Amino acid sequence: MPKVSPDVVIVGAGETRVGKLPGLESVQIQAWAVQEAAADCGVRIPEIDGLINLDPYAIPNSMFSSTLVEYLGLRPSFISTVDVGGTVTAMTMLQQAVWAIESGHCEIAVCVYGENTLTGRPEGARGLALRNLLGGEEWEEPFGLHGMVVPYALLAQRYLHEHGASEKDLAEVALITRRHALLNDNAQMRKSMSMDDYLSSRMIATPLRLFDCSQVSDGGGALILMSRERALARDLKPVSIRSLSMRSTHNSVAQTPDLADLGMRAAGRDAFESASLGPQDMQVALLHDAFTISVLITLDALDFSAPGAAGNYLRAGHASLGGRCPLNPHGGLLSQAHIGGMLHVTEAVHQLRGTAGRRQVPGARRAVVSGNGGVFSVCGVMVMEA
Amino acid sequence: MNNDLLAEFVPPTLDSRPFWEGCNRQELLLQHCQACHHAFYYARRLCPACGDTRLAWRAAGGQGCVYSYSQVQVPFQGPAWQSQLPYCVVLIDLEEGPRMLSRWLAPRGEVPRIGQRAQVVFEQVGQQKLPFFGAS
Repeated sequence: MPKVSPDVVIVGAGETRVGKLPGLESVQIQAWAVQEAAADCGVRIPEIDGLINLDPYAIPNSMFSSTLVEYLGLRPSFISTVDVGGTVTAMTMLQQAVWAIESGHCEIAVCVYGENTLTGRPEGARGLALRNLLGGEEWEEPFGLHGMVVPYALLAQRYLHEHGASEKDLAEVALITRRHALLNDNAQMRKSMSMDDYLSSRMIATPLRLFDCSQVSDGGGALILMSRERALARDLKPVSIRSLSMRSTHNSVAQTPDLADLGMRAAGRDAFESASLGPQDMQVALLHDAFTISVLITLDALDFSAPGAAGNYLRAGHASLGGRCPLNPHGGLLSQAHIGGMLHVTEAVHQLRGTAGRRQVPGARRAVVSGNGGVFSVCGVMVMEA
Repeated sequence: MNNDLLAEFVPPTLDSRPFWEGCNRQELLLQHCQACHHAFYYARRLCPACGDTRLAWRAAGGQGCVYSYSQVQVPFQGPAWQSQLPYCVVLIDLEEGPRMLSRWLAPRGEVPRIGQRAQVVFEQVGQQKLPFFGAS
């Protein structure tokens, strides 16, 4: 069972404003996020001697860790750029930071991602306009598949078919995360959404509508880690990573295993078993919600609901603030902003420290974070505790 | 030649050239591993089940069933694709085992049922015949 060292902890979390940030390139957005995380835990920027980031997708930029190092004026002894997909990238950054600190490569590490995905896209582009390749193009483009919506639509159609679920199950995810986003001053979506609003939103690729799709966002998020000993000496409240597991099964949608065999179930089983905890022990769930369907599949895979019963679980109120285990109190990728899932982790830190303001889950001590990159191509589950 | 169909092409590789040449002869070729007998799609230089490199191309029957589909209503591949809307992308489980992504050919607006039997239909688009699928 994969173990994460208990001796390295998260002490700082920061996020930039999200939405449109005209005039800022990705390096400036990432630097802003680092500044926010450093201020959050009283670390001075020059103290950072480890830096791990994800390079931008909208305008690809190689060797982006040293780009950011130079901008910040650092002289770190460990740097790395990680791109495994979705919130699993954030988890892998954290994993590398833990390894680097526990093995003495650095003492204070920052994990950061941010870019100008919204204002940096080409003129006239709609939706997410990636300029990098995702793999599989030769077997997808000739048949009319481009981007991420259609792959998730194919999974969604299959999920609805296998479980007799309906678009109203998908809608629950959109409605709950929107209600939560209204409690977050740093959210792109500021208007309430009714079931009628959802059902009348434009169809993109059946069965997914506009409101099943996450935001395209400018913005950034960052996390700072150090040894538990150092954190306590500085009088900082540590947040621990109890466990972290991942599975990679494929890349392109045509190679996706059957729904029941997606990597999320195995990653979740490993993460919960490694922490000797289960879904019933979690007080808040930060589930990767690039599309509504991702959340239904993940709730089932992590045993929050029986297979196909995620819609009922949501309708029962279990995932709403005030319920058993609130889902994405910050509004998630669907209604706060899509910063690759970095803000799922910063939100987990805020919830576990009790600094989440109006959207605080009272007394939250344990959080589960899920990630899926590509089309459930890589799945990750992380259990966090304060 | 179906003048109504659009397709974006990526240049073939040494791995994939036999597959696309097969399509031009109206053959749906799959690689079969001589060691473990796994049949797979798409073309690769090694068997993704066992890693063996003794591979042989064999024509598939072109029959399968619909694993999933999505009717696309937005021109993700550019304004020219407005003429294709709505069109239907399908995942087909081939009788030989592999799952394959393709496009469903049917009168405009018609979508398949999941589980429905499907048959490969080769259509010329530009210089290449493409393996689309339709009701069998």
